[in-house]
Amino acid sequence: MSLSIQNLRANIGDREILKGLNLEVPKGEVHAIMGKNGSGKSTLAKVMAGHPSYEVTSGDVLLDGRSLLEMEPDECSRSGLFLAFQYPMEIPGVTIANFLRAALQARLPEGEEIDAVAYYKDLYAKMDALKIDRSFTSRSVNDGFSGGEKKRCEILQMAMLKPSYAVLDETDSGLDIDALKIVSEGVNALRGPDTGFLVITHYQRLLNYIVPDVVHVMVDGRIVLSGDKSLALKLEAEGYDWVEKEAAAAA
Amino acid sequence: MSTDTKPDIAIDRSVGDFRYDVDYEYDAGVGLSEKTIDYIADVKGDPDWIRRFRQDAFRKFKEMPMPTHWASPDLNNIVFENIRYYLSKGTQPKRSWDEVPEEMKLTFERLGIPEQERKFLAGVEAQFDSEAAYSNIKAAVGEQGVIFVGSTEGLHKHPEIFRKWFGKVIPTGDNKFSALNSAVFSGGSFIYVPPGVKVKHPLQAYFRINAESFGQFERTLIIADEGSEVMYMEGCTAPKFETSTLHSAVVELVALKGAKIQYVTVQNWSPNVFNLVTKRGLAHEEAEIKWIDCNIGSRLTMKYPGVVMKGRKARGEVISIALASDGQHQDTGAKMIHAADETTSNIVSKSISVGSGRATYRGLVHVPKHLKGCKNNTECDALLINAHSRTDTYPAITVRGQGNACQHEASVSQISEEQIFYMQQRGIPEGAAMSLAVNGFVNDLVQQFPMEYSVELKRLIDLEMEGSVG
Amino acid sequence: MSAVIEEIDTPTAWPDWFRAQQNAALADYEATPAPTRKDEAWRFANIGALDLSAFRPAAPVSSEGRLINLSTGLAGVSAKMVFANNALLHQDTGRLPAGVLLKPLDVAAREDEALFRKYFMAQPVELGSHKYAALHKARVATGAFLYVPKNTEVTLPIELFHWVEGENASVFPHTLIVCGENSKVTVIDHFRSADQKRAFACGVNDLHLERGAQLTYIGVQDWARESLAFHINSTIVDCDALATSLNANFGGGFVRGESLSRLTGEGARSVMLSLNPMDGERQIDQRTLQDHVAPRASSDLLYLNSLDGSARTIFAGLIKVGEGAHRTDAYQKVRNLMLSDEAEANSMPGLEILADDVRCTHGATTGEISDDELFYMEARGIPRQTGRRLILNGFFQTLLERLESEDLRTYLGGMVSKKLSVPV
Repeated sequence: MSLSIQNLRANIGDREILKGLNLEVPKGEVHAIMGKNGSGKSTLAKVMAGHPSYEVTSGDVLLDGRSLLEMEPDECSRSGLFLAFQYPMEIPGVTIANFLRAALQARLPEGEEIDAVAYYKDLYAKMDALKIDRSFTSRSVNDGFSGGEKKRCEILQMAMLKPSYAVLDETDSGLDIDALKIVSEGVNALRGPDTGFLVITHYQRLLNYIVPDVVHVMVDGRIVLSGDKSLALKLEAEGYDWVEKEAAAAA
Repeated sequence: MSTDTKPDIAIDRSVGDFRYDVDYEYDAGVGLSEKTIDYIADVKGDPDWIRRFRQDAFRKFKEMPMPTHWASPDLNNIVFENIRYYLSKGTQPKRSWDEVPEEMKLTFERLGIPEQERKFLAGVEAQFDSEAAYSNIKAAVGEQGVIFVGSTEGLHKHPEIFRKWFGKVIPTGDNKFSALNSAVFSGGSFIYVPPGVKVKHPLQAYFRINAESFGQFERTLIIADEGSEVMYMEGCTAPKFETSTLHSAVVELVALKGAKIQYVTVQNWSPNVFNLVTKRGLAHEEAEIKWIDCNIGSRLTMKYPGVVMKGRKARGEVISIALASDGQHQDTGAKMIHAADETTSNIVSKSISVGSGRATYRGLVHVPKHLKGCKNNTECDALLINAHSRTDTYPAITVRGQGNACQHEASVSQISEEQIFYMQQRGIPEGAAMSLAVNGFVNDLVQQFPMEYSVELKRLIDLEMEGSVG
Repeated sequence: MSAVIEEIDTPTAWPDWFRAQQNAALADYEATPAPTRKDEAWRFANIGALDLSAFRPAAPVSSEGRLINLSTGLAGVSAKMVFANNALLHQDTGRLPAGVLLKPLDVAAREDEALFRKYFMAQPVELGSHKYAALHKARVATGAFLYVPKNTEVTLPIELFHWVEGENASVFPHTLIVCGENSKVTVIDHFRSADQKRAFACGVNDLHLERGAQLTYIGVQDWARESLAFHINSTIVDCDALATSLNANFGGGFVRGESLSRLTGEGARSVMLSLNPMDGERQIDQRTLQDHVAPRASSDLLYLNSLDGSARTIFAGLIKVGEGAHRTDAYQKVRNLMLSDEAEANSMPGLEILADDVRCTHGATTGEISDDELFYMEARGIPRQTGRRLILNGFFQTLLERLESEDLRTYLGGMVSKKLSVPV
C-alpha cells in the first residue's frame, strides 16, 4: 500500500515542469522532498491533487493501486489524498464549521447525515490541540487569517478528514518557531501505520520537527537523489550545487 | 482559464408550475379602457372618489411613455391589450379554511399555506386572482387593535386612515406602472398598527397568478403609528404560461414618529412574468423603514424600494439579493431621499448572474441643501458565474452642502477556479462547491431574512447552482 | 444662427480634402439636436449653460510677444509650441530626437497625410458631446501634431500652450499624439486666458499608443472664470502600452470634460487622473469611459473634487468590460470634499460587465474635512483657515503621487498650492 508516482510528466501551458518523476511513499512512512525554487515541487503537489491548470502528458499517480489521474479533484480527495496548500484560499461567507461539515458529508453514502454532536466534539478537540480559538468555527475559511493561522487551519482540516496520504506543500513557509512547533505537533499526532506523508519543503528546519524516514532531492522536474534524514542536513550545509552536478554527470 | 468546467445551470421550476381550471364569477375581459375601470369600480363597490382616482390614473397611464430610454427594451414586449385586468371569484374574503372553494384550496395546500398558518403566523390573507380568498386574523392581532385586511376592506371600513395616506407616498404619476396600478388596483393588504403596539409575529400574505395573460395589481398600504413595530412578509409563485404575465404592484409604507416597519419579499415568479413594482416608505422622526428584498424569479423585474426620510434621525435601509438565471433580467436597486437632518440610509445589494442572466443595480441617493449630519452607505457586490453572465451598476449620488457623508462601493467578482479547486481537494464535488461559495457570498444578507425565508432562500440558491441533474 | 459658426475671414491652410470634411462636420453640427435633460449622457447637467449664441470667432491676438513670454512652464523641456486664438504663434522643436515629428496640424495634414487621416478624430464621440465635437471639427484651424517613432524616447517633456484672448472669443484647440511601438514621451497641454474675459473653448485630443508605448499626458485647464469649455479626450491603448493622463481644471465657469480610454490590446494599461478645486459658481461635468475590449488589460481612474462656494460637480464614469475581456482589472474612484453649504456633488460611477473573469471595483465618497484633522492643526498653532488650506492641498497632492516623474509632481504640486492660496 503506497502512494506511487511513476514517470510523471506534466506541463503548464507549453512549458514542461515535471520531466519523468518517480517516487514511492509507502503507507506509514514520512518522506520529504527538498529542492530549489523552480524545481517543480509545488507543481508536483498540485498535479497529484488534479489541479486543472496542469496537463499530465505521461506517467501515472497511483494511490493504493488506483490511478488518481482519471479522477476529479474531489474524487481524489475522497479516495484518501489530502493536500495542505502553500497558499490556502480564502472563501468569504463560508464558515470553517460548515465547510468541514460539507467535506465530511461528501464522504458519507447518500442518505446518511453527519452526527452534529459528534462532529463538533471532534472539531473542538482538534482545534484545542492546534491552539486555534474555538470562535474560529464561525469565521470564514482563511478570510483575514494571518499566515500562521492559515497553515494551522490546513492541519486542522487534515486532522478532521483523516486522509490515507497527506501532501504538505511548503507548510513551513511564513511560520515563526512557535507556529512551526504547533503545526509539526499536529502532523506528528497523525503519524501512524495507516497514513503516508509527503512533506515538501525548501528549508531543512521543518524536518527537525517532522523527522522524515526518507529525503528526496528534486532538481528540474525529477527526483535525482534519495537518502535518509542526514541528506537534509547535508543540503542545509552545502546547498544544492553538488547535487545538480552529480545529476548532470549521471545524465 | 476554462469556464467550461462550470456546472450546468438549470432552473427547477416544478414547484409552482401548475394551474387549475377555475370558473371566474367576475371577468373584465382582455384589454384596458375606461369601461374596464368602471367595471372594476362597479364590482368592488368603490366610492366615487376612488372611481375618479382610477379614471384619473388611467389617463396618466395613457399619456406616459414607456421608460425605455433608460430601462430594458424588453418592456416593449408587454402587450397591454392582451392582458386581463380583473378576474375574481367574489369579493368577500373567506374567514375559515373550510369555506374556501376546493380548487383554490388545492392550490394553497400545495404551497403549504395551512401548515405555515398554524405554526407561527399572526394572520394570513391569501389573494387568488386579485381577490382575497382566505383571510384569518388571529385573535391576538385583533386584540392589539391591529387592522390587517385586504385593500378593498380597508378602503370601505377605515376610510379616514385609508384616505389620509393612500396615494400620498407614491403619487399616481410617479411612473407609468404606478399609474397603471392606481387605475386597476385590486387586492393587496391594508395594515394599521396603533401607537406603541409591537406586533410580535410577522404578518404574511400570499399571491398567485392563475390564468392566462392575467396581471396582478395589488396595492398595499401599511401605516405604523407612533412607536409601533411591525414586520410584513410576502412571497409569491406563479405557474408557467406561453404568453407573458404582468405584475405591477404598489406598496406604500408610512412609519410615524419612532415607528419601525420591516417589509420582507421573496419573489419567485415564473420566468414569463414582468414584475414591475413601485415600493416606497415615508419615515418620520426617529422612524425606521427597512426593505428586505430577494428577487429570484420573473422574466424582468424592475423594483427600486425607496425610503423618504422626512423626519429628523429617520433611518432607511434596503437589503437586496438578486439571482438572475438564463433569460432573466433582475433590474433592482434602491432610492434614498434624505429630507431631514441626521438621517441615515444604508443600502446593501448583492447579485448573482448565472448563465446568460443579467443583474442590474440602479441606485439613487439624494441629500439636498442645508441638511446636516446625514449619512449614506452603499455597498453593491456582483458575482458572475459564467462567461456570458452580465452585471451592470448605475448608481447616482447627489450631495449638497458640508456636514454630510456618502460612501458608495461596488465590486464585481467571480468564484475563482482556485477556490473551487481548494474545496474539491477537500472532497466537495464541483456543484456543491459552487453552491457553498455562492451561499457564502450572500450569507450575511440571507441571515437578515426571517428564518423561514432564509432556509427557503438557501434551498433556492442551491437548486440554481447544482442544476436539476446532480 | 450662432456667431461662432460663421465663416472666418482669415484664409485657412487646410488641404481641400479636409475642408470638405469640415463642411460635412458643420452640417452634422446643425443637424444634431442639442442635448436635453432626458439624455442619459446629460443627466444632472445644467443644460441651460450650453448657450453658444454670444460667442464669436476669435480675432488674431494683439500682443503676440507678451503671450509667448508668458508661455513658460517647466525649466527643462525638449520642445514647445504656442497657439493663440486658433493660430500658431511660436514653435521651438529643434532639440527633439531624430524621427520625432512635432508640427502644426494643418502642416501635418499636408506633409503626413496618411498618419493624419488615420488618427485625426478617428474615434466616435460616445460620451454625449457628438454635436460639439462636430463643431470642433468644422472650426478647428490648427493644433499640435506629435508623432514619436518606434523605440524612441523623448526624455524631457514637450509643452504646448493654447491661449484665448478677447471677450466671447472662440477657440478650438487640438492635440494629436501618436506614440509608436515602445516609444516614451510626456506632453503637457496648457489652456489659458490672456485677459480673464469670458470665452468659448471647444477642444479635442486624440491620443494613440501602439504596442509597448508609454505616454504621460497632462492637461492644465485655466480658462477665465466665466468661460464655457468642452474638452473631449480619447486615448487608445494597444498591447502592453501604458497611458497616464491627468486633467487639472483650475478655471472655466462651465466645463464639460469627456475622457475615453479604450484598451484594445492585451496587457494595455490606462491611468486616468483628474483634480478639480472648485469654487464660486463654477461647474464641472465630467463623463468618463474605461472601455475594456481586450483581455488582461487594466485601467485605474481617480478623480478628486473639492467644492467651495456654490460650486457644482458631476462625475459619471462607466467601466465597460466586453465579452472577451477576461482577466480585466478595472478600478474607479471619485472623492468629493465638500467645503461649503451651497456646494453640490453628483456622482454616478457605473459598471457594465459582460465577461466573467474580472476584478472591478468602483467607489464614490463625499464628505468634508474632519474636525479632528483641523483640531490637530490648531493644536500645533495653525489657524483654522490655514489648516483647511493645508489639508485641501494635501488632498490633491496624494493624486500627484501617481505620477512617475518627481519633476512633474513638484511642478504640478506647485500649481495646485498656488491656486489654493488664492481666496474665493
